[in-house]
Amino acid sequence: MNQGDHYHHTPRRSIRPREVKVDLPHFFGKDDVEVYLNWEMKVEQLFACHRVKRRVRSISKEKISENISLTSFLFLFKFIHSKLKMLSTLQTPRSLTRLSHSFTSRASLADQAAAPPHSEILSIRHALLSRRASAADLARAHLARLRRPEPRLRSFLHLPDDDALLAHARRLDALIAAGHDPGPLAGVLVAVKDNICTADMPSTAGSRILEGYRPPFDATAVKRVRELGAIVVGKTNMDEFGMGSSTEASAFQVTANPWDVSRVPGGSSGGSAAAVSARQCVVSLGSDTGGSVRQPASFCGVVGLKPTYGRVSRFGLMAYASSLDAIGCFGSSVADTGILLHAVAGHDRFDATSSKQDVPNFLSHFVSASSLESKPLKGLRVGLIRETIDDGVEAGVISAIRAAALHFEELGCTVNEVSLPSFSLGLPAYYVLAVSEASSNLSRYDGIRYGNQVYADELDSLYGGSRANGFGSEVKMRILMGTYALSAGYYDAYYKRAQQVRTIIRNSFKEALNQNDILICPAAPSAAYKIGEKKNDPLAMYAGDIMTVNVNLAGLPALVLPCGFVEGGPSGLPVGLQMIGAAFNEGELLRVGHIFEQTLQNCRFVPPIVAEDIGY
Amino acid sequence: MSSKGLLRGASVSANAVWHRSSFFPKVTVSVHRKLFKFRSFSSTATTCSSLQPPDLPRLAKTAQISLTPNEVEEIAPKIQQVIDWLGQLQSVDLESVEPSIRAETENNLRENAPETFDHRDGMIASVPSYEEPYIKVPRVLSMD
Repeated sequence: MNQGDHYHHTPRRSIRPREVKVDLPHFFGKDDVEVYLNWEMKVEQLFACHRVKRRVRSISKEKISENISLTSFLFLFKFIHSKLKMLSTLQTPRSLTRLSHSFTSRASLADQAAAPPHSEILSIRHALLSRRASAADLARAHLARLRRPEPRLRSFLHLPDDDALLAHARRLDALIAAGHDPGPLAGVLVAVKDNICTADMPSTAGSRILEGYRPPFDATAVKRVRELGAIVVGKTNMDEFGMGSSTEASAFQVTANPWDVSRVPGGSSGGSAAAVSARQCVVSLGSDTGGSVRQPASFCGVVGLKPTYGRVSRFGLMAYASSLDAIGCFGSSVADTGILLHAVAGHDRFDATSSKQDVPNFLSHFVSASSLESKPLKGLRVGLIRETIDDGVEAGVISAIRAAALHFEELGCTVNEVSLPSFSLGLPAYYVLAVSEASSNLSRYDGIRYGNQVYADELDSLYGGSRANGFGSEVKMRILMGTYALSAGYYDAYYKRAQQVRTIIRNSFKEALNQNDILICPAAPSAAYKIGEKKNDPLAMYAGDIMTVNVNLAGLPALVLPCGFVEGGPSGLPVGLQMIGAAFNEGELLRVGHIFEQTLQNCRFVPPIVAEDIGY
Repeated sequence: MSSKGLLRGASVSANAVWHRSSFFPKVTVSVHRKLFKFRSFSSTATTCSSLQPPDLPRLAKTAQISLTPNEVEEIAPKIQQVIDWLGQLQSVDLESVEPSIRAETENNLRENAPETFDHRDGMIASVPSYEEPYIKVPRVLSMD
C-alpha cells in the first residue's frame, strides 16, 4: 500500500514571501527589542535581543516598518534560533534548520508553513517573564484578533468590556514588575463555555430561560484558571444545555466553522472550538457529555481533551447528565491543552464525584521534537477500533485515520485492529441515560429562584409557561423523552437496561485497554457538514455521536487532535483522530499525542479566516 | 401481557443484581424471547413493544412544560421515532449483567460541617419575584 494513497496533502497556500515585514513598536531606546516577524503565513512570534536592534539601527527610521532584505532576515533567523534553544521552548521548528542550509530558496520558506504547533501558553509566559512584552499589549493584540472575525463566526455570547480585561492585564504587569510570579497561565486569554458559571459574566447555557442570569459564584474550573493568572475573555456559544451536536440548537445564534463559514463548528461546545481555531483566544473550556468537546475539536481542527470522569470538578457546570458530564479543554496544540487540564484538574470538595487521585505534572510529558529518537513510541501498542472504520463513515475520514495509523507505525508503535462488538449499542444506551438524567436535572429551571419567569395566576401554569417559553424544541423533546423513560413501569425497560449496557461497554473497553496502550478511532463519521443539513432530523444528528458516546459511558479520557483533511470548503476540512486511554491516564495520552503532533508532516491546521488576517 | 409481567415482576424482586433466575418458568422466558425476535435492530416502523407509546399531553404535565396542541402535533412523531429507535435495547440479552450507575468513582464524602455561603445577595438578586424575606409565588390550585 502506497502511503501516497492514504495521505491527503494539505492544500497549501502558495505564498512565497518576497520580503519580510519587521514591525518595531515603541521599544526603541531599550536594550531589548521585540521583533514581531510577520509574513503572510505567520508561524510564531520570535524574540530577539539587542544584537537585532544594532543590525536594524543602520536602517533609517522610515524604513523600519518596511522590508529588510531576505538575507538579513535569514541571518536574524539563525541567531534567533540559537536564542530559542537557550530559552528551552518546547520545540525548535524543524523548518529553521532547513532555512540555514538553503539560503535563497523560496521553496524552503514556504515549507516553513508546515511547522508543527508550539505552545502559545509557554510563549506568552516567556514573553512576560523576560519583559519582552507586557500583558496589556498582548491582551490588546489578542482582543483585536478576537473582534475581527467575530461578526462572521459568532463564537461568543458574552464579551466583557475591553477596559475590564485590560485592567486585569495591567494588574498582572504590576505583579511581574514587582518581581512576583504571576502564575503559569498569566496573560493567557481563556474562553469559557456558557454552561460553566462565571460570577462576573452572564451564564445562560445557550438558553433563553437563563437569559441574563448571573451566577453568584465561579465554577471551580474557572476559579482555578483565574487563580493561575488567566484572563477569562468571554463566554462561548453552545447548543442549549449541551443538547446537540452542531451549535444550531443555541437559542441565540449559530456559530460558523472557521474553516468554512457555511458549515457547523460541531457541538455542543462549538463556540469554544471555533474561538480557539480562529485564534480568538489561546485556550478554552468546554463540556463533554457525549462528545461535545471531541467532535467540535475534530470539525474545527483543534486539539480537544475530555478527561476521565471525576478528574475535573463539575461544580459550577450546569448539569445535563450527571453521570456522563465532564469539563474538557481546547487548545491549538496538545501542550496547551495539557497545561490547561493541569490547571483545572484535581479533587474539589464541592463535587462528590471528583477524584482524589493525584494530578501528575503533564508538562514533564512534553518532550521537545528535536530531541526525539527515530522511533520515539517504540513498544506502544495501538488498537484501531474496527467498528469505527466500517460502513457509515466517510471514505475521506477513514483514509485520514489509516494515514494516522501509518504515522504511528513510523513512530515505532504496533498498530492492530481491535473489535468492540457492543460498540453500536452505546448510542441508544447513551441517549436513554442522557435524556433521563436531563429530565431530572432540568426540572430546577422553573422560573422561581432564577431565570426568566412567565407570570401566571397559578403555580403550575407559571412553571409550565416559564419552561415552555424558555426552553428550545430540542430541550423540550429530550425532557419529554426522559420523562417517558423514567415513568413508573418503564424504568426497567429503558434506564436500567441502559445501565447494564454501560457495564458491558465499560468491561469491553477495559479488556481492549489491557491488550493495547491506547485505542484510536475517528472523532466523528464525517467532517463538518453544512449548517441546516441535519437540523430537522434528530436521528441523523444523534447518529453522528456514535464515535464519542461510548467513551463517556465508560468514563475514560480521550484526546482528539487534527490528523488530516478531506475535501470541502476553501482550504479543505480538518479531520480529527481520537485517542482513548485508560482511566486517569491523561498523561500518557498527552505524551503520545504531543509526539504524534510534532512529527506530523505536511499538515498545518490554521483555518483560512486566520491566515487571511494580516494582523496575525 | 406476559412479557410486561416479566418486566414488572423483575422490578419488584432484585435491586441491583440480575441472576439467571429459575424464578420464572422457562416457558415464559422463551415466549418472551420469541416476541422480541420480530423486532429489528434499527426499526423505525411502528413499535410492537409491550410498552405503551408516549402519551404526550400526560408527559408534558409531568414534566411541567405547557405544550400547545400545535407543538404536540409537531413533536409527537419525532418523539415516537426516537423512542422506537431506543427500543432496540429491549432485544439485547442482558441477563446477569449488573447495571452501573456511573463510571467507577471513589466514595468521597465531605465533612458534615455547615458553611455559610458568602454571596447571598447575588442569589437573591436573581430571584424574579422577591419581597424580603419571601420569594413570591402565585397560589397553588388544588388538583382534582
